[in-house]
Amino acid sequence: MSTLELRDVVKCYRNGEEVVRAVDGVALTVSRGEFVALFGPSGSGKTTLLLLAAGLLVPDSGSVMFDGREISRLSDAQSATHRLRNVGFVFQSFHLMGSTTALNNAAIKLLADGYSLREARARAQPWLDRVGLAERALQTADRLSMGERQRVAIARALVSEPRLLLMDEPTGNLDSKRSREILALLRDICHERHVPGLLVTHDSEASIFADRVLTLRDGHLSDGIDADLAPTSPTR
Amino acid sequence: MTRRRRLGPTIVGLRPSTLIFLYGWRLTRHTIQELLAGLGIAIGVALFFGVLVASTSITSSAGQIIHAVTGSARLQLVARSSEGFDERLARRAGQLPGVRVAAPILRANAAIIGPAGRESIQLIGVTPRQIALKGTATRNLGAGSLLIAGGLGLPSGVASQIGAQAGEKVTVLINGNADMVPVRAVLGSQTVGALADSPIAVALLPVVQRLSGNARRVTEVYIVPAPGADRRVEAELRRLAAGRLNVEPAEHELTVLKATAAPTSQSTTLFAAISTMIGFLLALNAMLLTVPERRRFAADLRTQGYTPRQIILILASQATLLGTVASCVGVAMGDVLSRTLFHQVPSYLTLAFPIGTRPVIPVVLVLLAIGCGVLATLLASLPPILLDLRPGRPVDAVLHETGEAGQRVGRLAVLGSGVAGALLLVAITTLVLVIPRLTVIGGVLLAFTVICLIPFVFVATVRALSPASESLRRSMLPLAVLELDATATRSIALTCVTALAIYGAIAVGGARTDLVRGLDHAIVEYLDTADVWVTTSDNFLTSESFTAGRAPSEILNAPGIASVRTYQGALLDVGARRLWIRARPASDRTLIQASQLLKGNLTRATSLIRKGGWAAISNGIAEERHLHIGEAFTLPTPSGAMPLRVAAITNNVGWPPGAITINTSDYSHYWQTVNPTALEVNLKPGVSPLAGKHAVEHALGRRPGLLVQTYGERKARYQESARQGLKSLNQISTLLVLAAILAIAFALSTIIWQRREHLASLKAQGYDSSQLLRALLLEGTILLSIGCLDGAVLGVYGHVLASRWLKLTTGFPTAFSVGGSQILLTLVIVIGVPLAVIALPGLAAARVPPGASFQE
Repeated sequence: MSTLELRDVVKCYRNGEEVVRAVDGVALTVSRGEFVALFGPSGSGKTTLLLLAAGLLVPDSGSVMFDGREISRLSDAQSATHRLRNVGFVFQSFHLMGSTTALNNAAIKLLADGYSLREARARAQPWLDRVGLAERALQTADRLSMGERQRVAIARALVSEPRLLLMDEPTGNLDSKRSREILALLRDICHERHVPGLLVTHDSEASIFADRVLTLRDGHLSDGIDADLAPTSPTR
Repeated sequence: MTRRRRLGPTIVGLRPSTLIFLYGWRLTRHTIQELLAGLGIAIGVALFFGVLVASTSITSSAGQIIHAVTGSARLQLVARSSEGFDERLARRAGQLPGVRVAAPILRANAAIIGPAGRESIQLIGVTPRQIALKGTATRNLGAGSLLIAGGLGLPSGVASQIGAQAGEKVTVLINGNADMVPVRAVLGSQTVGALADSPIAVALLPVVQRLSGNARRVTEVYIVPAPGADRRVEAELRRLAAGRLNVEPAEHELTVLKATAAPTSQSTTLFAAISTMIGFLLALNAMLLTVPERRRFAADLRTQGYTPRQIILILASQATLLGTVASCVGVAMGDVLSRTLFHQVPSYLTLAFPIGTRPVIPVVLVLLAIGCGVLATLLASLPPILLDLRPGRPVDAVLHETGEAGQRVGRLAVLGSGVAGALLLVAITTLVLVIPRLTVIGGVLLAFTVICLIPFVFVATVRALSPASESLRRSMLPLAVLELDATATRSIALTCVTALAIYGAIAVGGARTDLVRGLDHAIVEYLDTADVWVTTSDNFLTSESFTAGRAPSEILNAPGIASVRTYQGALLDVGARRLWIRARPASDRTLIQASQLLKGNLTRATSLIRKGGWAAISNGIAEERHLHIGEAFTLPTPSGAMPLRVAAITNNVGWPPGAITINTSDYSHYWQTVNPTALEVNLKPGVSPLAGKHAVEHALGRRPGLLVQTYGERKARYQESARQGLKSLNQISTLLVLAAILAIAFALSTIIWQRREHLASLKAQGYDSSQLLRALLLEGTILLSIGCLDGAVLGVYGHVLASRWLKLTTGFPTAFSVGGSQILLTLVIVIGVPLAVIALPGLAAARVPPGASFQE
């Protein structure tokens, strides 16, 4: 059972003389198949929380558990293996190779796991189909639209069949129509694959697609979305 | 009352102070990047400038010196041997109708020894009439002539080299003797102009006549005809010369030097062309690395409301400023290079010509170097920005680009480069086969072909690697290939630098090695006729005669000596050629060097030369005069025209203008001298060369002006001199490779460092540091290997062409060999060193924290 659990996690940063508690005693559980949207103003610590959830940051106190196993204090090699096999990342700026095909971009993660490129492509193709890019697999990324690029990035995140999806502002560079398509896709995948998904976003539209909405402010987590971050226009 | 704002001058709405402010802001934010870009540009310009100066300096400096001496003279009467002609002829020349000034001089090669060292010089004996020529070297000698009465005037360059000062005595080795002579004056550039850096010494004519043993003789008379009387005076001079002296323009020496230095100049020109391309590419590469950041900066400006014209002005001004400052630094570095590494004048030229040691730097070269540096900077930085500013493109598009834009290489461009490269190869091959003397141009075009083919070779290699790597498991090769494909433009630019450096090293380095090998053969055969040689000091061409006196008989009576023979030789001007005349005793076992024979039968030709009236001539002379085996020709000698027939045709035995081999009987008769230029001594069986040398030295007694060498010592001296003559080519070749290695290592390191965010995203997805480092090193290896492959293949072809040119066009002896081990070593160094250098930044980049790929 894939579950992400943060137990009273604290993470501080030193800013000159000042100590900033970016994450201050956060307790969070994301169950399998659950699509959770995390809101918060800029600088509220959302990305820090995401990095903690991925095991990329060591908390000052508390622990991060995945499937009952603590992942917050793994060695570099163990952490890399965890990210390779268990975690799928979707980045705001896609991090694709522009002159490389969508298929190769989607397959690239599996090379780190010892797959040959041929095998990796074979595994990546169905995921490109799933995200609606079957016809565009051989197009280079710089010839795709922004929405298509993000779909390639999503396919890349899913190609290793992760048990946890972490998404950092995946709609940050998209217009509202594409944003809704991507959010819907991410939600559907979490539900289909029964994987927990944690989405960090400014996009208030995400509250409509998420199973649960949280807000991080001043290091503290609260349910729901603050009024100043709520969507101001009705859903189309 | 409304206050009107005063506006200063603006360009497209921007004040100059704004441009300066923005560049200052850029410098504070991207100091390291700008410094590294500037360094890359400076290195490129330094290479280009240094080699250009080296290639023009030899004849430029000699030209300055010759002009400085000849002044207003337009004609000269010249001896056909170093022993000169009767000075009474000089007086008669001065009395000819139409002659305003006749200034005789006597030149004699010597060596000068001071407290701090020794220098080979040309001793020049002058008279007060020299001042009337009003040359920059002599017009200020009015007061100086008193200073040099009875002693020497040394140019400041020579004085500094040997540690001599005015009032001290120095030793002059000349005519096989050693004399202590006082230094009356040290002559700086204020007194003697360009001569201050020349390997000469000046004295009054009687002094030099005494020292050289040429009493009452001169070697040249410079003539200033009255206006309009040149042709009449020339005719009178020819009547006076009566077929025993040459009548030439006053600057004939420069014409002869240019012909002699032509092969060196041409090969240096080839290097200059390769250096130019590499320098340009280095500057281009350095700026290309800053393009992504400049594009983002341009996008930021646009979103703030700056117009495209303003953005272009801002970026162009920054590139121009950076390019100008970096190019000036590059010119300074190139000046140092030209004075140190490239400054060596080949010794074979200094023995025959008064070449100064100060490189001449024309202003136009400085401006050209700076201009090229600025041009490269602008070419690298502006086009990508111009593409971003084209109408219809979103203002902030570059801020949302995936990966690095502009890295695609179009299919048409790749095919076009392959076709163009192939066509160039065909054209070059045709050109050099039909017109061999254009081989140097072919070499330059071949360097261009190296670059032309790179896109095709690069893309083809990456495409070939793709299927090969697809089935590999646990390998980072597929990732490396994908990354190379994704950064094609930048990778191709780096590969071009590698390929050019390899091409230059193999093509010219290989030809140089062939030449050295050929010269070695020639030297061995030339010298192995004797066990011990006796000559005057530094007599590399064995053309400086000395009074033998009783030396031959005394040596013959020494223990262990089997035979002593007289060898004679001279330099003889025939047209624009300063020919090397080699007169061997008929009893020498080798008269013609077998390895140098091109046409004729060795045994028959040797027999004919022994008989007399026959000569072996070098190919250049034969072609110029359309001579074949058995045909007759004449040589102008001090006693008139000497009739000869062609016994054999050889290469130029290492002396570019050509050589003629006759026997000593013919030489003595026509040069009217029995003075040797060398004594060849053979030892009895069982006598060691060292023992024989000591016996000869003992027999000679106190003749410090004569040098006794074993065959081995003389051979080593010749070989050293031959290599020294080619040293600058070797140094340039090495410097090109080193500069390319450094530039590639620096560029690769910078590229790797710029990709940290991308590497962080890979790490976030599960790659570990060692995988990423392997991928980076594989990328570098593939990229460098492609460049090396392209450069090496065409470099070998270039080597073939260059060797062929040396043999057919310049007449040099060459022994072609591919030199596989040398090629392999060069390739290993060019691939290995940059990889070793980038390992550290690669490791640092591979260890980037994955969190760096996230945006807070």
